[in-house]
Amino acid sequence: MDDKITLAVREKAKELLEQKVVDCFIGYEKATDNLTSRPLFVYKPEQAERLVFDNTCVHNLSKYLLNKKDTKTAVVAKPCDARAIVVLLNENQVQREKIYIIGIVCPGVVDSRWGSAGTEPEVRCQGCPQHTPPLYDFLIGEPTDEVEQDAYTDVTAMEEMGDADREAFWKEQFQRCIRCYACRNVCPGCYCPVCFVDLKEPLWAGIRVAPGENWMWNNIRAFHLLGRCIDCNGCQRVCPVNIPLMLLNRKLKKEVAQAFAFIPGMDPKALAPLATFKKEELAEPSK
Amino acid sequence: MSVEEFQPRIIGFLCNWCSYAGADMAGTSRMTYPSNVRIIRLPCSGRVNPMIIFKAFQQGADGVMVSGCHPGDCHYVDGNYYARRRLAMLEPFLEYLGIEKGRFQLEWVSASEGKKWSQVVARFTDTVKSLGPRGKI
Amino acid sequence: MPRVGVFLCHCGTNIAGVVDIPTVAEAVKQFPGVVYVDDNKFSCSEPGQAAIRQSIIDNGLDRVVISACSPRMHEITFRKAVSAAGLNPYLMEIANIREHCSWVHSDNKEAATEKAIELVKMAVAKVSLHQELFRKRISMEKKALVIGGGIAGIQAALDIANAGHQVILVEREPTIGGRMAQLDKTFPTLDCSACILSPKMVDVSQHPNIRLLTYSEVEKVQGFVGNFEVEIRQRARYVNHTTCTGCGICWQKCPEKVPGEFEEGTGQRTSVYIPFPQAVPSKPVIDTVSCRYFKYLDFIDKKMEGKKPPPCRICEKLCPPQAIDWEQKDEIIRETVGAIVVATGFKTFDHSVYGEYGGGRIPDVITSLQLERLMNASGPTLGEVVRPSDGTHPKTVVFLSCVGSRDEAKGRPYCSKICCMYMAKQALMLKEHDPGVQSYIFYIDIRAGGKDFEEFTRRAQEEFGVLYLRGRVSKIYQDDKKLMVCGEDSLIGRPVEIAADMVVLATGVEPSEGAAKVAQTLNISYDTYGFMVEAHPKLRPVETNTDGILVAGACVGPRDIPDSVAHGGAAAAKVIGLLSQDTLTTEPLTAAIDASRCTGCLLCSQICPFQAIDMVPANGKSIAVVNEGLCKGCGLCVAACRSTAPSLKGYTDAQILSEVLALCP
Repeated sequence: MDDKITLAVREKAKELLEQKVVDCFIGYEKATDNLTSRPLFVYKPEQAERLVFDNTCVHNLSKYLLNKKDTKTAVVAKPCDARAIVVLLNENQVQREKIYIIGIVCPGVVDSRWGSAGTEPEVRCQGCPQHTPPLYDFLIGEPTDEVEQDAYTDVTAMEEMGDADREAFWKEQFQRCIRCYACRNVCPGCYCPVCFVDLKEPLWAGIRVAPGENWMWNNIRAFHLLGRCIDCNGCQRVCPVNIPLMLLNRKLKKEVAQAFAFIPGMDPKALAPLATFKKEELAEPSK
Repeated sequence: MSVEEFQPRIIGFLCNWCSYAGADMAGTSRMTYPSNVRIIRLPCSGRVNPMIIFKAFQQGADGVMVSGCHPGDCHYVDGNYYARRRLAMLEPFLEYLGIEKGRFQLEWVSASEGKKWSQVVARFTDTVKSLGPRGKI
Repeated sequence: MPRVGVFLCHCGTNIAGVVDIPTVAEAVKQFPGVVYVDDNKFSCSEPGQAAIRQSIIDNGLDRVVISACSPRMHEITFRKAVSAAGLNPYLMEIANIREHCSWVHSDNKEAATEKAIELVKMAVAKVSLHQELFRKRISMEKKALVIGGGIAGIQAALDIANAGHQVILVEREPTIGGRMAQLDKTFPTLDCSACILSPKMVDVSQHPNIRLLTYSEVEKVQGFVGNFEVEIRQRARYVNHTTCTGCGICWQKCPEKVPGEFEEGTGQRTSVYIPFPQAVPSKPVIDTVSCRYFKYLDFIDKKMEGKKPPPCRICEKLCPPQAIDWEQKDEIIRETVGAIVVATGFKTFDHSVYGEYGGGRIPDVITSLQLERLMNASGPTLGEVVRPSDGTHPKTVVFLSCVGSRDEAKGRPYCSKICCMYMAKQALMLKEHDPGVQSYIFYIDIRAGGKDFEEFTRRAQEEFGVLYLRGRVSKIYQDDKKLMVCGEDSLIGRPVEIAADMVVLATGVEPSEGAAKVAQTLNISYDTYGFMVEAHPKLRPVETNTDGILVAGACVGPRDIPDSVAHGGAAAAKVIGLLSQDTLTTEPLTAAIDASRCTGCLLCSQICPFQAIDMVPANGKSIAVVNEGLCKGCGLCVAACRSTAPSLKGYTDAQILSEVLALCP
């Protein structure tokens, strides 16, 4: 428990709401299991006392901003959450002047599930390359010098498998998918009014829970996050059948980083990697 | 052609202005090449949505090729540059899913390169043939 | 369920000699939706087309597949045939079983037949999803805008106007005429430049179809071919051109003298001025930077310290029709035009970066354009070539070629094309002015490709004794009254040093100031130097990638006068072709965006090569909308969009997928 952060969050929330800088403050409170945390929307200064911040605050709250487009809203953002906000700014989904970002210099969160606070650091926090949010209006904690580079050890391990083993691996993973779309619902990048998977005409992936349809869904979901996934682990955390979705997302993140030296969510003014090109790049096609 | 020999099912997405015309050129020059590629004509390689390629592989295509104008020659100015970025990301991703390298190919064939088209098809067909049948997912 | 008819062409033996047509016909009958199959020796022949028409009518077909040669060959032919039967021409699809099948698989008839069947199957699947599409008619505003009043723009404007169309000619300077007006004689014929240009300038000013807007710039352009909405800013001239008679008293009496732009600094003009005597319009403008009254007003306005300038106003007092108007404001002129010609021309390279040539600090090192002014009978010296430093007549003149051309180090690797010829002309003319002059030309190559060009440079050498030295000059320095020019004659491999009275730098050609801004305003492309990019360097030299916007003259690259005139005329021909139509029909194979699926993420608008996607506000967010007049149907937006909001008519996702599924069921 980091009481210092909690107190700072409460104090800032109170101040912002009292001075009417914002109409809504999105943060975390203790869940009813009294162990884990859950999102909290605060509208009145006196409610700010319910706010907490500790290492069980796993949720990426940025997605709630999409429902608050017309309301001046403050949001508590860990570095990965702030990257999501940057992507939403890149994609014209939120307006900078409507949001107030409470950046947290993040100590990392733990793999907590309902009824268990957890002790193990979450997968995204192991070797996290960024502890200070890339964008904030108010920062809690001392900014850090970022040195670590993402080693992509998880992705590399996959790449080292044989083709047949990889295909078998994914077949095994995807066959568990129950198509609940929790991954989609939690993802700040998944905001299409109509998702391709829900279309009947053309039918990209049928509604059946079947290998082909599951394969289409999971891969295209990942591909649609190309150059956009900010590595918050949300999809993987909420997957009820534990499909390692971040392995897909991070493979693409690695490719984009290598080919275009682009990390999503770092620069609110950046142009998405698929929205631009350089003439002198990728000279030899797929050789 | 022996009856047992595996004949791969290959889909080629070709831009209308360069590669499709290049394939026409191969025809007018009466060059022969393997018959496995079925061409889908598109205005531009930049029209190729990766979702279509996922769908082709899911449906059991043994190989998929996208061919467009050489970089700098796009009829739509920059279309192939965007295609190149997108498909350069798709290729390693497909491999990551266990679809062997060589089953997906991006090529640049101009309207005058009938010869190149026939060679590209021959080489690609050979590669896909050697990788064997894939089947539907 | 659609009623698809399939027509299998034999193309003589071209197809039928390889593909077993009866087998294909048998297989095709089984495909969903196919109600009629026929084959024909030559579908494209008149009897073949008649058979298709008749079968469509007799069998009530609402979709047609023609299995024949490449659609690149006969798509239009068959669309017409289908249309003649009363069917929408876009309800037809071609299966290419000749170029892509029979001709390339003649070694394996069985495989070719199998492939032909599948190609037809794909076409049947796709055609079933075709929708009726209609060409849209857009109105054509029969008026053209020409940007730039140099010789290319003048030629374009006159040609368009003579064809009976309205033209708005916009020129940034107070007069039209451009670079050509500054020249003395023109190579290789030695015509007097003003003598051949002035009548054209007058024609422009008097042409009933031309509206001339000088001292003006295009600020904004929206819309597309047929209907460009243009905003032009005409700067305040402080002279009422309606009442001004151009009598000239004001500029004769104005006490303020400044270096004249038109004279390239070799002479002076007054604050109220016309750039040169033959200027069109021959009515003055007041330059607010140097005018004493404006300086006075500025002094009062800004409450400056020191000596107050005099509130001169002499021009106002002397002007007989009282045309001076201190209150005049910039005027915004809005026009709708059907087509635009860009002819913004060139300027010469600024040689001050060449430290070895004095960096612009040696007074008697002048540019070729300055020499033109000195040689010009209506120039500041009335045609007497004198040294700027002391007014003496130079006897030894050295020309340096390629100053700002063919010089990688200065960022100008290209050849400026005109310099070799104008140097020969100027050297020759110097001798005519004063037989005592000896000219030397340092050159890299003598590029004299053009009608009578080679003969001309030979004449300069042989008849006029101009000495050509092959090599670059390494240094120029002042030695008392002489300019020491040190270089190397690379043909004899020895250093040479010439004591010259004057040095002329053949400064290269670069796009005029602000050319890139014009390109940005019009959304057309320009290269790294700022030259406009033509749609195709060989086959579409005056077109751009935007329909209805043409380019002419030296804004595209270094060009001489005949080339600029030819290109101006060529651009005009394209414009006349457009304006002679009452309406334009647009290709219906364009993209459309489903607003209910659009997230407003901007991606499609960022990548559209034709800026055909606008973001418009809707329901509190911004939504992408396709401008059909600009859309060329590439489909980039469709492939980029995650929420599948755009679709490309004729190539929808559903249609492409239907082809994939036909192959891989």
